[in-house]
Amino acid sequence: MMPAARPVKLRRHVSLLGLLLLAGVGCASCASQTDPGEDPEVTTRGSVEVTARLVEIRGEFPDNANYDYAFVMKYEVLQTHRGEVDSDVIYVGHYNPRKPRATVADQRARDIGGNLDQFRAGDVHRMALETPIDDYFMGGIVDKYFEEKSDAIYWAVWTNRVVE
Amino acid sequence: MPRPVGWIVISVILVMACSAGRAGEPEQDERVGQIMEVVRTKGWIAYSARSDNGTWDLFLSRPDGSRSRNITNTSNYEEAAPRFSRDGKKLLYRQLAGGSTINHDRWGFQGRLVIAGPDGANPAVVDQDGQWSWATWSPDGKQIACLIPRGIQIVELATGRVVRSMDREGIYQQLFWSPDGQWFCGTANHLGTMWTVARMNIATGKLNVVHKFQSCTPDWFPDSKHVIFSSRPPGQTASRGYGWTQLWMADGEGTGSQLVYGEDGCHVYGGVLSPDGKYVLFTKSLRDGGGAERSGGTMCLMRFSDAPTIGGESKELREKHRHTKDGPVLELGQGWEPSWTYEEIGSTQ
Repeated sequence: MMPAARPVKLRRHVSLLGLLLLAGVGCASCASQTDPGEDPEVTTRGSVEVTARLVEIRGEFPDNANYDYAFVMKYEVLQTHRGEVDSDVIYVGHYNPRKPRATVADQRARDIGGNLDQFRAGDVHRMALETPIDDYFMGGIVDKYFEEKSDAIYWAVWTNRVVE
Repeated sequence: MPRPVGWIVISVILVMACSAGRAGEPEQDERVGQIMEVVRTKGWIAYSARSDNGTWDLFLSRPDGSRSRNITNTSNYEEAAPRFSRDGKKLLYRQLAGGSTINHDRWGFQGRLVIAGPDGANPAVVDQDGQWSWATWSPDGKQIACLIPRGIQIVELATGRVVRSMDREGIYQQLFWSPDGQWFCGTANHLGTMWTVARMNIATGKLNVVHKFQSCTPDWFPDSKHVIFSSRPPGQTASRGYGWTQLWMADGEGTGSQLVYGEDGCHVYGGVLSPDGKYVLFTKSLRDGGGAERSGGTMCLMRFSDAPTIGGESKELREKHRHTKDGPVLELGQGWEPSWTYEEIGSTQ
């Protein structure tokens, strides 16, 4: 049996209310997912702080738990919060990138961290950086951009996830 | 058979395949007995090994494995990586808090630097919390060179003063100063590639490649012209292409690379020459990295004149190196990062 039809005016009110509810839920959802990646660590560590998009991960991260390394990744700088960067495109070395930033620090790279769990091209990160990498990190560096850039490599001190 | 038991059995078999008797127990090879006889009076080796108290301690033994004794014997510290000064009068090593895991790749950063007499007497902590990482003796034993992120520092031991700083040019671990004082060797990043064995001219600071690709743990021949190192060449099929690490040598210019010792089924590390260059000490272990995280590897000694030598069946390796000498190899028991002096050591004579 078909349901009894509601009066037209009532149906309009219900529809409007539904739309408002949906929009409200949507906005609340947006608000809860947006995250500028700001925290007391990223805003105080390192000499440079940027929000940048991870443009490319060239090649695969070496998969050998026996050995430590930093992997150089290409970023497009969206905003500079502290310090200066020389270019809109920067190259950043991340330590042992297969590990979540929260657990990556060890004896070779003591004062690093962040809340990023996984590196994915296209994602945006808020990072505290130092440069050049050799002044702050002493270990193997995988640099697939070596032949096409002359810029100094930044060292990722703190890397937080940004949700746009 | 339950799976865990099966794995334990397999592991034991594999470990046995890469290990041998205790110090001083030779293989059934007459030539090994001849080596033992000759090296027995050639000074002392120092090495790190697990002691009865479960921690890493330092040991001295004759190069044939006889007269082994614990020279640190501390249950509250882990001691590792001893290195005699060139004159054999002193020993430097790393000391870590008890219970620490020694990392085969980070050990030069770990703990603190201690300098003692060659028999472990009068140990003195000479740095603060890893301040002088990867310390290596100067030829005269009056200085050490250390690797820190901002460069190489040369430290005068009498005063603790840094007398020279220089760029490290990508060298990041395993720094060693040549006997003639003119060079450093180390593991470096070079032209975008890590795990490159490199040599640095100390006067000019210029770096040259000795051997590229998956190479590390270099050390000097007594002539300061050649470098011994570990390398895991590409093209191996074992362990899904991971392969086995072998002991290699090359001259300082990076030419004339050749195999010294290899054995399919073992990773070979810690290569070091006797003071006269006639013998080679190294460790072999099933696990990559030399076994520092557990109990080290099997320390081995061979004549340099027998290089290249291949151990075990090693079908694949023998295919690639058809003209090996298969010289005798004396196995000295479990240990890690041995060092050799021809000097007599007072209280151990």
